[in-house]
Amino acid sequence: MIKVLTVDDSRTMRDMLRLALAGGGFTVIQAVDGEHGLEVLNESGADVIITDINMPKLDGFGFIERVREDAAYRATPILVLTTESDPAKKVRAREAGATGWIVKPFHPEKLLDVIRKVAA
Amino acid sequence: MASTLCLDPVLDLKAAQPLKAALTEHRGASVQLDASNVERLGGLCLQVLVAARRAWSEEGHDLTIEPRSAAFSAAAALFAAEDHLGLKVDKDGAVP
Amino acid sequence: MDELEEIKITFFQECDELLGDLESGLLSIDAGDTEPELVNAVFRAVHSVKGGAGAFGLEALVRFAHVFETLLDNIRGGKTALRPDLVKLLLRAADVLADHVAAAKLGGEGDAASTTAMVEELETWISGGPAPSPPALPADLQPNEDGIVFKPVTLTLPEVDEGPREEVWTITFQPMDELYAKANEAGLLIREIERLGKIDVELLDDALPIFDNLDPETAHFAWKVRLRTDVPEEKIREVFEFVEGHCSTTIVREASPPVLVEADAGPDIAAIIAAAQAANMEAEPAFTPLKVDVAAVESQPPVALAPAAPVAQVAQPTSPRSPQPPQGEKVNQATIRVDPERIDKLIDLVGELVINQAMLAQRVAGHGFAASSDVGRGLDELEQLTRDIQDSVMAIRAQPVKSVFQRMPRLVREIAGQTGKQVRLVTDGENTEVDKTVIERISEPITHMLRNAIDHGLETPEERVAAGKPTEGTVRLAALHRGGRIVIEVGDDGKGINRPRVRQIAIDRGLIAADAQLTDEEVDNLIFLPGFSTASTVSDISGRGVGMDVVRKSVQGLGGRISISSRPGFGSTFTLSLPLTLAVLDGMVIDVAGQTLVVPLTAIVESLRPAAAEVKKLGAQGGVLAVRDAYVPLVDIGRVLGFQTTEIDPAEGVVLLVDSEVGGRAALVADSIHGQRQVVIKSLESNYQQVPGIAAATILGDGRVALILDVDALVAMRKREPLRMPEPSIQAAE
Repeated sequence: MIKVLTVDDSRTMRDMLRLALAGGGFTVIQAVDGEHGLEVLNESGADVIITDINMPKLDGFGFIERVREDAAYRATPILVLTTESDPAKKVRAREAGATGWIVKPFHPEKLLDVIRKVAA
Repeated sequence: MASTLCLDPVLDLKAAQPLKAALTEHRGASVQLDASNVERLGGLCLQVLVAARRAWSEEGHDLTIEPRSAAFSAAAALFAAEDHLGLKVDKDGAVP
Repeated sequence: MDELEEIKITFFQECDELLGDLESGLLSIDAGDTEPELVNAVFRAVHSVKGGAGAFGLEALVRFAHVFETLLDNIRGGKTALRPDLVKLLLRAADVLADHVAAAKLGGEGDAASTTAMVEELETWISGGPAPSPPALPADLQPNEDGIVFKPVTLTLPEVDEGPREEVWTITFQPMDELYAKANEAGLLIREIERLGKIDVELLDDALPIFDNLDPETAHFAWKVRLRTDVPEEKIREVFEFVEGHCSTTIVREASPPVLVEADAGPDIAAIIAAAQAANMEAEPAFTPLKVDVAAVESQPPVALAPAAPVAQVAQPTSPRSPQPPQGEKVNQATIRVDPERIDKLIDLVGELVINQAMLAQRVAGHGFAASSDVGRGLDELEQLTRDIQDSVMAIRAQPVKSVFQRMPRLVREIAGQTGKQVRLVTDGENTEVDKTVIERISEPITHMLRNAIDHGLETPEERVAAGKPTEGTVRLAALHRGGRIVIEVGDDGKGINRPRVRQIAIDRGLIAADAQLTDEEVDNLIFLPGFSTASTVSDISGRGVGMDVVRKSVQGLGGRISISSRPGFGSTFTLSLPLTLAVLDGMVIDVAGQTLVVPLTAIVESLRPAAAEVKKLGAQGGVLAVRDAYVPLVDIGRVLGFQTTEIDPAEGVVLLVDSEVGGRAALVADSIHGQRQVVIKSLESNYQQVPGIAAATILGDGRVALILDVDALVAMRKREPLRMPEPSIQAAE
């Protein structure tokens, strides 16, 4: 089963993601900010990572950079959550190493579509 | 008797370097690649395999990929790389 | 969808926390804190509210949050300078946002008029920043959160025949190294194209170097995919959404005019590859209008990027009141989420355990086991353990008063606005924890104390200037633990209580005798008497039908006390003291006319066995007890509660000296005392009905139900009559 790590400081968003991902048959693990995300990743690993951008402690860009520094996660798809179509944020996220993005608010099916696009 | 190299299950970005290194060790003799465990084949590893097959063939050696997992066969077909990997000849003998 | 509804509940809970963070962040900024992370935290709060609201389709909330967020983002990015007047505006915008959340919670939308006005104000700032003012934009072209107007590039293509007509497309794509480095995958792109229709794939391997020269992480292959489909071009383009700029892509319609004119020939694959190869890192293969180059979109002039948000220290809010049971999910190792009902149930059970333990102890004692025996010692240990469990369980339900304090700044702003006074609210001890049962009920008394402090305590700016004080008054709201209770203080630096006036009003209204001798403190506390109001005209603020007497009553209902102390010219302080929990109580078990009653220990000053000479009869029913130098009114519990007609002779019984808020000290007369005990409070109201003089009930060790006395109410019941009598009040001489 594909394990998805979701990193978001919003409980609402974490719950939404969990609901949508569980519906798609994914195993979901969660973290509340970038730093916590790195900890959880260290402990549990993940096949796909979904992260918010605006977070306390370590934001999404920093988190992605740190994940990509780890050789084990060079090929792990990382999706960022963004609101609206924000070209600047997307560019920046990709520079940091993001694979793609999910536009909030998302429809659960759309989310699964996006994951399918990046995960085998 | 060709030596056998067992391919890793995930042949993605991370696997490309090690794959080339492993193949290099078998240079100069025929080699059989066991792809029965392969779950995922990415574009970069595909390049390594195709380049290897050409190199082996130029040197008069065989490089065969057998047995193959369904995932490997499907990926090769999706990439339209069956010819390049020499799969078509013994397609019928492939492990489903 | 049940679970979605539950998430919605979580969302609104989270909104409350976020709005609290928003406000406290803005207040810190207002107070002069220049920490840049504050702006980031404030931005994040609005951003998160917007994100969640979007998920639930709360359009009005999203629209307002968006404008608010845009301005905050400008501030964050340094485009708009943070001036004091702007901070005030942001605080008011936070109030409007809170209104929207509150309205959305009830399924409605925030007030349109105030929203429109606020949006206009915010937009003035958004467009008036140092950045050149953008021309008025239609609503769908508002700048996004980075202040950038997002131009929908994909829509600038020439009109294409619409309708689901099956067409054949040739898609040629050449991944670059970057594509793989970002964990995208060529195979997945082909698979996505395959989902759109029938495909025929060709691998273009011309560029592959020989094995020895091959860098395994450099991309060389390209693919040409013929797709037969009826989906529009946008759908095909979407497949390459994530690899824009990391993949040279051409999408050409076959058998009908190409998307972008110039029907040269089919794409020259070799040229594409060669060009891509050459320009691998430059991202932009040099080819012609025939191709729709996705990479070009990516390489638009770089836009100004907000700097990476620095590390923030915002504690993750955790709410023990979440409706979601933990289901193996891993949110934060530091906290778990538990259905509050489970905790309530646990607390009930521990309550039963306490009662059971007491019953067991009583039975064991009845069988003649000495306290020093093995059984007695074992019981002692059991009691200790039971108490420890109880404390631990109560601690689970404890919450910081922050959630209540956070709502107050807005209230203060509103009252200040209504009264024309300038007020700064200072809070302290907001992390003081108290049981959830208490948290839920302290908000109202705090609200009233604040209203009173601002409306009656603080002077107008002119008066303050005249008195040599700063125009802005300060109201301090503080929480602390003291003596096993939580104490809430609301202090102001206003004019203090006008004692002669208060006294005169009390006399005019017949609340005290004209010549009653009262200490300053007693005079101050006259404002809590029923029917007292210090303002000559009932003001809009404090006069909302609730006087301080009602506040005191509700506080008493919680086993609490409220009092006020004042220094003329320097201000007043309300002190509210409440038990840490409404679940258990330390009480003195007494016997009155064969009834077992419990007196809350907090009310008891001391217990006495008075000598006959110390008891003085006054009139037919009243009496006083001489305690040291003072006379204290005697309260015959049995008679006041009406279950005994004959009086107990205080000299034969026991007297409990209690402190009441109403009339200072009083002496409760009982037949005998059984000792101290912790009892579990069972609400009388929810199990029976409210009874004057009785606060609640409990179950004793022997299984009997005992009533818990409401000391203040009891004393008030006894005092009401004598206070109105013309004879001098002697409630507390000296």
